[in-house]
Formats: sequence, structure tokens, C-alpha cells
Amino acid sequence: MNGDSDGTRVPGLAEAFEPERLDGHTIEELGEYLDAGRSPHDASIEDSPGCRIALDALRRLRERSWEMLAAQAGRDAGREQGWIAAVLANISREARAGRDVPLGSGLPDTRLEVTEGAIRGLVRAAGDSAGGGLVGRVRLVGDVTVPGAPVRVEVAASAAWPEPLHPLAQRMRARILDQLARHSELNVTAVDVTIEDIHAGDEAEPGASR
Amino acid sequence: MDEAQSLARRASDRLLAERAADGDVDAFTALVRRHGGIVRAYAVKVLGSPDAADDVVQDTFVRAWERLDELRDPSAVRAWLMRIASNRAIELLRARKPEAELPEHDAPATARPGPADAVEAGMVADDLSQALRRLPARQRECWLLAQFGGLSYAEIAAQLGIPATTVRGQLARARRTLIGEMEAWR
Repeated sequence: MNGDSDGTRVPGLAEAFEPERLDGHTIEELGEYLDAGRSPHDASIEDSPGCRIALDALRRLRERSWEMLAAQAGRDAGREQGWIAAVLANISREARAGRDVPLGSGLPDTRLEVTEGAIRGLVRAAGDSAGGGLVGRVRLVGDVTVPGAPVRVEVAASAAWPEPLHPLAQRMRARILDQLARHSELNVTAVDVTIEDIHAGDEAEPGASR
Repeated sequence: MDEAQSLARRASDRLLAERAADGDVDAFTALVRRHGGIVRAYAVKVLGSPDAADDVVQDTFVRAWERLDELRDPSAVRAWLMRIASNRAIELLRARKPEAELPEHDAPATARPGPADAVEAGMVADDLSQALRRLPARQRECWLLAQFGGLSYAEIAAQLGIPATTVRGQLARARRTLIGEMEAWR
């Protein structure tokens, strides 16, 4: 295959990697250059037509490779997905439990505790319920294991476009404070909500349609 | 719609990974569904057949759950999953084929009729898949681990028990061969 439609002879791809066509470069170097995102810019490569042809071929191979994998995944999509249930059955929910957070029981010799993981879940649910965004990372900063110790709650969130960001952050903050006051005994000194990302909006409010 | 599906429709990889690292099983489930197909397809390529691919995928996600707090860049969770899958698939491959049976890295490939061919027979022909199967095993492994696993030469070298310079050469050969075959498809 050594011609294109206007009759100009272009090297076949198999020839494109002959050393003499690469102006002193090797396919190893070009592969590494492409893998590094063609950065920093290398003029001796970018100004060489032979190298450009080879880089283009390498790039197309890369794209074609991911298409191959996606096509395989597509063919498999109809298969029985029992392995997913097996994964979920095999994960330990306790792995992400974190510290034990005391709840007062009012009874002598009785300790009630809830896990930090459960508190994070509470914060996520509260933030999500504000509508217009989704909670991401939650951090409880302070010694949550000591009753009454000051705790700051740090929340990262994603806003549903085109939700106004500041009101969303305020709403989330209010919901989180409210739920923590109702369902924990943490001494929450601050709830910091940072909107770090935006995602495509949705007609339905989160949690509205189940 | 369940919570995992609701999240999956809207949430980015980064958000899902952050929530999963905090213990959100629904977010983790969404990640499993979103990336499981690609991880499995990769495992099939590395193993050469679908046989143990489900085991690799299952092990990959169970390990991922345990190690989520090691994930430094939550937005790169797919690449991280592919890396874990690489390790698991190569472990399985090594367990099947003791070192003594591994072909010399320049040995010519023979056509390998096997379960993968039977599975693919009724499906749309994928020329790159076929070209990949025709590569010598060592070149194929280096290429798969670099292309999809995102491993460095040093990491591939450690996985396969060969020098990094050999990995570099094998990868270049594989790419050259595969590109040469691409020409035939145009």
C-alpha cells in the first residue's frame, strides 16, 4: 500500500520505521516521546517528516488498541455478571471504618460507639440531600475519639451543572451541620465545603427518584 | 434505580474513587460496573483466554477496595485498576507456565488455536486481536503491560524477570509489527 488518492507515493507503514526514515531517531525513542505526551517538545523529532509519520502511526495504534479492548468489553457486557456479586460479597466493609467515635449512652459502664466511616456516610447523605451536588471526600479533623473534642469537617463536592456554587456549598453545609447535631455528639466547630468539580446536571434531584 | 446506578450516571471517576475510599460501597459498586468490562478484556488478552479472566477481575477489585487509600490520584482510578490487574494476571500466567517453559524472546510465534479463537469465532473479527496473538509471547506481554497496564520498563522487567533494556527492545519490535499489520487493514 504505497499510494494515496492523489497519486503521491507515501511510504507504507511497514517502511515508516526503517532507521533511515527516522532522521537518527529510533522507534524506541519515538514510542517514549509519544508516551510522555510529546513533551518537552523535541524539535529534531517534530521537524522530521519521517518521525511525524511514525509518531502518527504509533498514536493510531494506541487508539486502535483501546478500541479493541472496548469492543471486547462490549461483547462481554451481555454475559452473566456473577463476578460482580462475588466481588461485593468478598469486600470487608470494616476496611474503611476508621476511628471509633463515642456516643453518650447515659448509662454507667456502657459505651456506645459509631465508626468514623459511618459518620462519613452520614455527611455524604446529608450533603447529597441538599440537591444540586454530590459529596466526594469527607475528612473529620480533630480527635473524634474524645467526647467534646473540637472537630472540623472538611468536605469536597462536585456541583451539578449549572447549579450556582456558593448557594450549593451553603446548603450542603447547613444540611451536614443539622444531621451531625441530630445523630452524633461531635463538637463540630466548622464544616468546610469546597466545590472541586462540576458534573453534568440531572433533571431529578438526588434521592428524589427511587 | 439503585444508589449505585444513580451515582454511576452522574459521578466522575474521581468522585466515585473518593467516596469509595471513604467507605461508600455504592460508589465502589459503580466503579466495578464502570471499569469491570475493560479490566476483564485486558485480563483476557494477557492470559490468552477467557478462562481465568473472571478470577483476575474479581481479585483485582477486591485488592483495589483494600488499597483505596493508597490511590494518590483518584481521577486516575482506571489506570490504577489496570495496574493491579496486570500484577494479578502475570502472577497467574507465571503460575501456569514455569520459567523453564517460557519461550526465548525471539522465538517465532506459532499460530495458537485455543479457547480464545473458539470464543471469537462467532464474533466480529478483530484484526488487531489476531495480530496480537501472532506476536511472540514475550513481545505480546511487554506490549500489553506497557499499552494497557501503564507499567514502566523497570516494572515490566520486574514482572517478567528480564532486563529493562530487553523490555524496551521487545516493545519496539511489537509496535513495529502491529503497525505493519495495521497497514493491511486500510
